[in-house]
Amino acid sequence: MTVSRRGFMQSASAALVGLSLKSDPPIAGSFVNDSFQLGHQLRDHASFPSPKQILKTPVVIVGGGIAGLSAAWWLQKKGFTDFVLLEMNDQPGGNSRWGENEITAYPWAAHYVPVPGPKAIYVRELFEELAVLRDGQWEDRYLCFAPQERLFLYGRWQEGIEPAIGLSEKDRDQFRRLEERIHQFRATGKFTVPMELGLSDNTGDLDQISFADWLRDQRMDSRILNWYMNYCCRDDYGATTVETSAWAGIQYFASREPEEKGPLTWPEGNGWIVRRLLERVGKFVRTGQMVHRISHTKRGLNVLAGAVGYQAEFVIFAAPTFLAPYLIEGVAPLRDFEYSPWVTANFTLDRLPDSYGGDLTWDNVFMDSPSLGYVDATHQSLRTHVDRTVWTFYWALADGEPSRNRQLLLQRDWSYWKEAILHDLERVHHDIRRCVSRIDVMRMGHAMARPKVGAIFSPERRRLSKPHGRILFANSDLSGFSIFEEAQYRGVKAADSVLRFVGGTHGIA
Amino acid sequence: MGILLFITVLLIAACGLIYELIAGTLASYLLGDSVLQFSTIIGCYLFAMGIGSALSRYIDRGLAYRFVWIELLLGVVGGFSSALLFLAFAYTQGFQLLMYALVIVIGILVGLEIPLLMRIIRGRYDFRDVVAHVLTFDYLGALGASLLFPVLLVPYLGLVRSAMLFGIVNVAVALWGTFLFANQLAKAQALRILCCVVLCGLVIGMAQAKRITTAAEDNIYADDIIFARDTRYQHIVLTRFKDDIRLFLNSHLQFSSRDEYRYHEALIHPGLSAIPAPRRVLVLGGGDGLAVREILKYPQIESITLVDLDPEMTRLFSTHPMLTALNQKSFSASRVHIINADAFPWVDSDTESFDFIVIDFPDPTNYSLGKLYTTTFYKAAARHLSAQGLMVVQSTSPMFARDSYWCIAETIKQAGLQTYPYHVYVPSFGEWGFVIAGHREYEPPTSLPAGLRFVDAKNLPALFQFPPDMAPLPMVPNRLDDQVLVRLYDQDWKDISH
Repeated sequence: MTVSRRGFMQSASAALVGLSLKSDPPIAGSFVNDSFQLGHQLRDHASFPSPKQILKTPVVIVGGGIAGLSAAWWLQKKGFTDFVLLEMNDQPGGNSRWGENEITAYPWAAHYVPVPGPKAIYVRELFEELAVLRDGQWEDRYLCFAPQERLFLYGRWQEGIEPAIGLSEKDRDQFRRLEERIHQFRATGKFTVPMELGLSDNTGDLDQISFADWLRDQRMDSRILNWYMNYCCRDDYGATTVETSAWAGIQYFASREPEEKGPLTWPEGNGWIVRRLLERVGKFVRTGQMVHRISHTKRGLNVLAGAVGYQAEFVIFAAPTFLAPYLIEGVAPLRDFEYSPWVTANFTLDRLPDSYGGDLTWDNVFMDSPSLGYVDATHQSLRTHVDRTVWTFYWALADGEPSRNRQLLLQRDWSYWKEAILHDLERVHHDIRRCVSRIDVMRMGHAMARPKVGAIFSPERRRLSKPHGRILFANSDLSGFSIFEEAQYRGVKAADSVLRFVGGTHGIA
Repeated sequence: MGILLFITVLLIAACGLIYELIAGTLASYLLGDSVLQFSTIIGCYLFAMGIGSALSRYIDRGLAYRFVWIELLLGVVGGFSSALLFLAFAYTQGFQLLMYALVIVIGILVGLEIPLLMRIIRGRYDFRDVVAHVLTFDYLGALGASLLFPVLLVPYLGLVRSAMLFGIVNVAVALWGTFLFANQLAKAQALRILCCVVLCGLVIGMAQAKRITTAAEDNIYADDIIFARDTRYQHIVLTRFKDDIRLFLNSHLQFSSRDEYRYHEALIHPGLSAIPAPRRVLVLGGGDGLAVREILKYPQIESITLVDLDPEMTRLFSTHPMLTALNQKSFSASRVHIINADAFPWVDSDTESFDFIVIDFPDPTNYSLGKLYTTTFYKAAARHLSAQGLMVVQSTSPMFARDSYWCIAETIKQAGLQTYPYHVYVPSFGEWGFVIAGHREYEPPTSLPAGLRFVDAKNLPALFQFPPDMAPLPMVPNRLDDQVLVRLYDQDWKDISH
């Protein structure tokens, strides 16, 4: 038998096809929920159309994240319904936005709320309304199922995120001493959630040094302890310990009880709370409405949002505060508001990796990774059999200048982030590429307020936090850091201030 | 003539190596630890060959005659070695003894072959050529055998028939030797007849090899596997040994048909018979239809809803004749409605009310199954329970997993139900535990359906008594956010196996 050249080429290419079938399946995906284009229009003072319609609305809430929605929830709860909520994006929720595919709902950012302590009365009130808290009991199906968390270190998984294996006597001693210090801070009652209730000038010194410096002053130099502190700061603030105020570092631990259960979580993360809030106040929400100008008039405020103008008596400004100078007439540029850029990604897994390793946990963290690991969206499923799932991957760009990282966010394409994230995951799950069919990436230039040294007690921040005049600021960044309870507290408080002057059951007291 | 002689060398070398490989492989299959088996077998074999070579010097006369006999013996011993070893493993305790004895006998015979052959032919060739050619073909034969063995013999012929095939080769060499060395043999004709008889024996053996291995394997793997399938959810295996059918899910025994009546009568009747007028029954799990078979003994029941995750499982127990004989075609009854769904979400979303709920899930071996043993699950299930209704829960063994059993009982209690734990003895499982629970108090029934083989009203109250080694232990409940049960269960069984 002779082999023709063509025959040889055919069989050779068939062999190549055979080889290519063995390679990893293609991974689809794109950037999602980009909103910087809108923000940049404000920054660049783009020209906006003049309003075609003017509406008289006593109260306008700007921003449909947790703060804005909580303000709306509180206004309605108190019988006041003459207001609108304007949200720039097509989907409300802010940092609590969520997505959904044929497998499950999943979070885009905030994905849990710690079981609220006694001081977080508005959170407790909301959770009672949502039947998350019933007769003093937390609803089982919303408490994070076991096993909750694990950490990958030294090539294996351990239960819990605080490193527990491979500690030297020195490490243990420092962890012990830190715990004692935290216990003392907790006992002062000055570190609370919401932070406003405990905030005391006595602790102001701690805001004048970085958390890294404070740890050094305490002679806590253990590499493992410092990794863990860094992880906690990156997780809650998107910043390293060097970039975090010691006050904020201590707040992370001292504001919560050490033996609390939970956290409370849902497949779509805090998107679940947004959904419940929208069921109540959705009728007041106008999405795709970017406010581009707020100016004072003789009897109130003019709020311009595209083709619609609102004549309002009060504005609850629940959007990130750094936008205020671009929007509000007469607000001087702000100096003390810094934000951490983040990347989050949602992975569709058509099967679980063989390298899964042990029981399915909710939060999965890798030691010494630049990322924060991933959270499993089907963890709170009641099903016993799950063969497909969605993982939400979190990456705070904590190292380096935020402005340079924001440039990076804009310059790099989707494949860059996809590869960067897969590389990170491959250290733990070598076969991840064979399991993933889709990776959607969300990039956020100003994801979270960053509590830098001096940020908590910044006069600028303290001034804007006080209810004053017709514009009430409500974003969680006024607390110095972005967590659910702070946003909700400030939203409710701003609504309360407004209610003192406008109608409703409270009346014009 | 010359080349044929040397091919003889090649063939007998191959035969010798094949017997050795077969012994090594068989020992590795049956005993494990292939390094140990191969090392000791090769060592014994080579040592025995040395003995054979040493013994060859005591053979002075009748070299050709003895060579033919050695080939004949090798054909018989080597050819039947594999079959003998299989049967020895299946039916005796002396597998290893026989194996090493066979290896040594074969080794001695093989060790005799080459020296004898060299002496037989030394007159025909230069001594230098004899040594060079004989050894060359000896090693060539070894190479051929070692390649043939894994590539063709083991996959296509199997160990029993491979040995017999090479037994035939040895005997063929013997037969041919009677012609080759005819001038040196006195009784060539008699030897030829003997060769033919042995040859026939080996050929018949090859034809019957299947029966030998089947007989042996049946005894090695006690039960026949009559069904095995990987479904999306689990690995289902059904075995049968005589009249005993066993179901394994993910290698865990679910029932043995010899004593499953004890389990299923105990699961159903103490609860169901105590309900005044039961109309509607829910079964969660129980895809084998055996619990439903017991429930169907109550004519007043109007509907039985069975929720099982795996459609393959319910289909198998609806259609396989051996299994429908076991569950008495319970899934074909018009009162029975099968729903293939994940039980927890189904219980959580559905709102129907039932008078009797049977919860018969696999043991809580992992966090996924553990969800089905939590306060949240029992609360959700209790919402389906009518005021006079009762629920019964398969709760693992109070003997082997005492902590787990009492943890499950406590969990049901914490879900707001009154609990009544009881236990029975099921030979294939050991002591097994259940919990009856309801919104009301429970009294064991005084009358039961006719024709039960195990449960009767007289000794029913005794099932609720626990002897000291199974007595209640204080336990915390199993919760979704803190699945203590999975850890307890793991620990309980570790304690047992140590």
